Amino acid sequence: MGKTTHTMTASAHFPADADLLRQMRSGAADAFAALYRRHQGPLYRFALLRCGAAEIAADVVQEAFMGLLTGRFQFDPLRGQLQHFLFGVARNLVLKLEEGRRRHVALPPDDDEDAPELPDEQACPLGRVLGNETAEQVRRALSLLAPHYRDAVILYELHGLSYAEIADICQVDIGTVRSRLSRGRAAMAKRLAAWHKLDMVQA
Amino acid sequence: METRDPMFDALRIEMDTLDTPRGVEKELMQAFARQFPRKRRWYQALPAKTWALGSSLAAGVLAVTMTVSVLMGPQPARTGVPADGSMSPAAHADDDGLFIALDSLERIEQEPAPRMVETEVPRSSLAALGLPLTPDNAGDAVKAELLVASDGQPLALRLSAVN
Repeated sequence: MGKTTHTMTASAHFPADADLLRQMRSGAADAFAALYRRHQGPLYRFALLRCGAAEIAADVVQEAFMGLLTGRFQFDPLRGQLQHFLFGVARNLVLKLEEGRRRHVALPPDDDEDAPELPDEQACPLGRVLGNETAEQVRRALSLLAPHYRDAVILYELHGLSYAEIADICQVDIGTVRSRLSRGRAAMAKRLAAWHKLDMVQA
Repeated sequence: METRDPMFDALRIEMDTLDTPRGVEKELMQAFARQFPRKRRWYQALPAKTWALGSSLAAGVLAVTMTVSVLMGPQPARTGVPADGSMSPAAHADDDGLFIALDSLERIEQEPAPRMVETEVPRSSLAALGLPLTPDNAGDAVKAELLVASDGQPLALRLSAVN
């Protein structure tokens, strides 16, 4: 995404995340604010597409940064980028929220690549999120993917992450990421084509 | 080669305009402030006795001497040190500098929004408050932090560069 790219470029000129984290831990409020402003956008957009609700996405961002502040979520700069760590935290928080739904809707386990893709209607409980019609249709099609496909598609297509980075965030191997991405995109294209055909008939 | 699907172009553009609601940053910064409470300011750490000694008399003396010094320019050197060498009861010195109370403790405690103003005060104008004055330093300016109430009333003064 444009903002993500911009953020990555900008961070090369401004204090590194590790420096800001160190300052934050010694009580520098401006360092914490800088970290938040640098990462909140991508994190919010990921959470929003992942869960489909603006309020929940905001809560996820808040909880992720609160965890960073209190030490509940421990980031180790030697193990990767802060943004990827935060994506992982947000993903886990959303998964936790979805656990309640999983009790009622049987979703395929994450490692079952051959299982049929079940539409996750519960994942898109809310109404319109975006103003642009085309974008909203794509978002709706995305929200109907099974969660483990959605993770890969969002991180790859919307955040420009590599297979390796997504594999690290989702704790799966690169082959699995590639497979999920391919299946997710195919399912979305199929659904969008069906909706388009329906629109043509209704028109 | 890893390529992005044009199917997502419209969504990319639309999502790029979205940010976390502003209230989240506010709540996080409040949480940060609770996690790392600010060090007490110097005027909050002063012993009550010091404030009790501060009085409107001190405020009056300071206001008059400062006004006079501004209007009349540098004054002839004179010493404000009492005969026994002690400081005025309105002043209190410790490792961080010299504190001069300009109002009562109650007034300070009840002030809802005090603010700090950095300033410089002619040394000669502070002699009446007990600041040591010699012919050599009479023309100096003293760096000071003035604690001011929301209505502009000076509450206290800290002289941070007094020898």
